[in-house]
Amino acid sequence: MMRLILFFYLITNVAQAQQFLTETGYVNFLSKAPLSDFNGESKQLHGLIDVEKNMLDFYIDLNTLDTGIGLRDKHMRDNYLETEKFPFAEFSGKMSPVPNLVLGISNKVTASGKFKIHGIERQIEVKGTLIKNTKGEVELIAAFDILLSDYDIPLPKLVFYELAEKQEVTLKATLKPKK
Amino acid sequence: MKVIFICLALLLVQVSVFAQLERKLANPNQPVELIFHAPRHINLLTVEPLDKKSMHFAIMHTFGTLDGGIQNLFGLDNGANIQFSFEFALSDRLSVAASRSSKDKVYNVFGRYHVFQQTQNGNMPFSLSVAGGGGVNTSNYDFLPEAAPNFGERSSYFGQLMLARKFSPRISVQITPMMAYFTDPRRVYQIEGTQNFYMGLGFSGKIKVTDRSSLALQWIPNLNNDLRNNFGIGWDVEAGGHVFQMYFVTSQALNEQYLLAGGNGTIGDEFRLGFNVNRIFATGRRK
Repeated sequence: MMRLILFFYLITNVAQAQQFLTETGYVNFLSKAPLSDFNGESKQLHGLIDVEKNMLDFYIDLNTLDTGIGLRDKHMRDNYLETEKFPFAEFSGKMSPVPNLVLGISNKVTASGKFKIHGIERQIEVKGTLIKNTKGEVELIAAFDILLSDYDIPLPKLVFYELAEKQEVTLKATLKPKK
Repeated sequence: MKVIFICLALLLVQVSVFAQLERKLANPNQPVELIFHAPRHINLLTVEPLDKKSMHFAIMHTFGTLDGGIQNLFGLDNGANIQFSFEFALSDRLSVAASRSSKDKVYNVFGRYHVFQQTQNGNMPFSLSVAGGGGVNTSNYDFLPEAAPNFGERSSYFGQLMLARKFSPRISVQITPMMAYFTDPRRVYQIEGTQNFYMGLGFSGKIKVTDRSSLALQWIPNLNNDLRNNFGIGWDVEAGGHVFQMYFVTSQALNEQYLLAGGNGTIGDEFRLGFNVNRIFATGRRK
């Protein structure tokens, strides 16, 4: 009986060894409008990659998005993203192919899953790269585009900063193995 | 059986724990923002803070009374009281400001400090700020038969508390207990009050009508004198870094001391058209 318990523990421990986590990933939303480009960035991307279960889970608190101008951030939170109601942008999905993480080898991966922002969830595909570094961490780089209208986020009119309908989202994160 | 059950339970716990990350707010006490559109609401200062090193520039006008009708273009012919006001934020909580109002050519300096802010989680149900300062009347009084007032006699001071709450995304209210002191309130000054010390209780209301425009209300009952109470009603439009405020108000006064001591016309016929342009200049990372 004890062996059985031990066995289960071992299994779950092995599963844990295949999990990688971060709370300090980098996200950038780039808006390229005809007259003005600007970006909103956050260094508080939370992420989980579970290779064993083929599961991805990422989110950011949109309150941490910084466009470099405090008032613009307030307008973004209050009028457009409505962060009091919808504080998070989140993605959960699966990878294909499931990467075989070997030191120093870059794995091109397509993740498909649900992206949710402003209370609206859509199925999206994200292309990215995963590399295992010498510290045993996983380095992730990924990019995808979203259309604000898909998520019912209005474009500001009658304002002096222009926002593009298409937002180019870039993620960069180093995920540490879960202990 | 028992063991298997325990093991299954253990597994399930593990699975459910690792199924998804728990969604956590970076700052659980996220402040409620944009309680008002700008640091001014009609004539009164608000709890709306400025970010460190940003600047708020307000150009405020109030014209003549409406009762002259179209002949005087509803008071626009009667000359405006114009106030220019610059406010600079030394920190996210403290800002300093200087303003100049054409009525009696008053230069004011004042500070605004944000004690605490309403939070989204309700731990702090309202925002509290304080403001205070003083000013000097720089009109030329050489025409007077008696000696012109000296610097001290031209000075006036004000202090106020601002308590505000955003009750819903649409409705915000601020209560502003305020006071003003005139060292020597002479008849020749463009104020109706004759006493030194004035107290009032300002009420400001904002009712958001569209995403970027609001109905604005202002009412300042006087607490220690018989002057008429100030009343204003207006329309705020937010456009990026600008907030335009158009309003009808019973007084031409634009600074705090004159709002309390200046006297008011009747609501309706003696309304004056007012117009503020608020601009926030940000410094820091632009791109």
